[in-house]
Amino acid sequence: MRAIRERLWEQGFIEIEAPALVMSAALEEHLEALPVGGASPQRWLHTSPEFALKRVLAAGLPRIFSIGPCFRSEEQGPHHASEFTMLEWYRVGCDYRGIMDDLVALLGVTAASVGRALPEVEHLTVDEAYRRHSGGPADSDPVEAARTWVNDVELKLTAPTIVRDYPASEAAFSQVRGGIAERFELYWEGVELANAFTELLDPAELEARWAKNNLARVADRRPPHPVDHRLIEAVGRHPRCGGIAVGVDRLVMVLLGIDDIRDARVGG
Amino acid sequence: MGTNYQTSDFRNGLKVLVDGNPYVMTYFQFVKPGKGTAFTRTKLKHLISGNVIDRTFRTGETLEAADCEDRNMQYLYHDGEQYQFMDLETFEQLGMAPDLMDGGEEFLTEELQVMITMFNSRPVGLLLPNFVEDSIDYCEPGVRGNTAQGATKPATLTCGATVQVPLFIEQGERIRVDTRTKSYVNRVKE
Repeated sequence: MRAIRERLWEQGFIEIEAPALVMSAALEEHLEALPVGGASPQRWLHTSPEFALKRVLAAGLPRIFSIGPCFRSEEQGPHHASEFTMLEWYRVGCDYRGIMDDLVALLGVTAASVGRALPEVEHLTVDEAYRRHSGGPADSDPVEAARTWVNDVELKLTAPTIVRDYPASEAAFSQVRGGIAERFELYWEGVELANAFTELLDPAELEARWAKNNLARVADRRPPHPVDHRLIEAVGRHPRCGGIAVGVDRLVMVLLGIDDIRDARVGG
Repeated sequence: MGTNYQTSDFRNGLKVLVDGNPYVMTYFQFVKPGKGTAFTRTKLKHLISGNVIDRTFRTGETLEAADCEDRNMQYLYHDGEQYQFMDLETFEQLGMAPDLMDGGEEFLTEELQVMITMFNSRPVGLLLPNFVEDSIDYCEPGVRGNTAQGATKPATLTCGATVQVPLFIEQGERIRVDTRTKSYVNRVKE
């Protein structure tokens, strides 16, 4: 934690404390937020500090980060806890490639802080990862493609690997260019550690994605995520930038060879 | 018949049908690829052949329960090919081949009570009690005074199994063995 903060401070990033109690907690179809009892109107615990940080970007700060607890329900297992520690940072004036450079440098100092050298980081596109590890391109059905990813591809990404360029349907908050989402993830020891974007700047597009995900949720008999209009407005105002979210507990697990996320957290 | 398990019901030891074959779940893990739908990654061991397969199930998909039954049986004797057991409820006799026993046959002693997993009226698995007692058929003589230094020697039991025992244990003594780890637990006074 200290190595991470020092590196970001050195680079001129300002730490922001994002509010944990929010009125809108997620955009993604498959993310579940923890509702807070007794709050009126309804509030949730945040699933990431992203919404608050984007409003800070819109207000004019060019390099910001946040590190702290985030919450997701229905996620339990050796790599999932309802409460976990997330690091996010945003850098104005770069795309996802600039964030890749930030990430590799940060991984290096974090590994060094526990006496480890960072192995060579591999770079693959999503398509290359499928072809190399499952023997062919991804299935055209997104569910079957995801199943192949979980069953055949993910566990083989043992070296630190940056997987980039997702299909437009998995863009989330990223900018789509030429049918490809400028998004990357970091895998190490078969575990997903981080997710990053060239951040979307088009408020109408964000609103359309939100509506589409909520339609899918309603069709699946799950409650829609409330739309955060302050966020949509902020996305229309903040400058071109890249951003990333890193699962700190999982990074600690991989660096120290811990098998269960509960052992990477105090009193977990 | 016809019971289905949800991914939230998954646990080790669950007996399920995949493509008409019976499997036991030996591993399961919740996974959620970035921004995607949730899956449960499993390892399934074929109840008869012992082959292990990796299968991944999406949340909402179900697995059919294998119609398995664990029955209380008593070990009778080895007829040269098969091990013979008696069902303690129906008193029917049943033979089981050693390749289905996963090495558990070495701890069988006469009248030992065990559980046998049946699938479609066929025995597919042997479950020993966690602890069994047996006498030592052969081991090197005891070393007096050496009681707790952690040093061990091999001892062959009457049932045929060989386990590591502390040096002070003598031939002919009765000991308790943990069948899960195949290790010595303590001496039993008769």
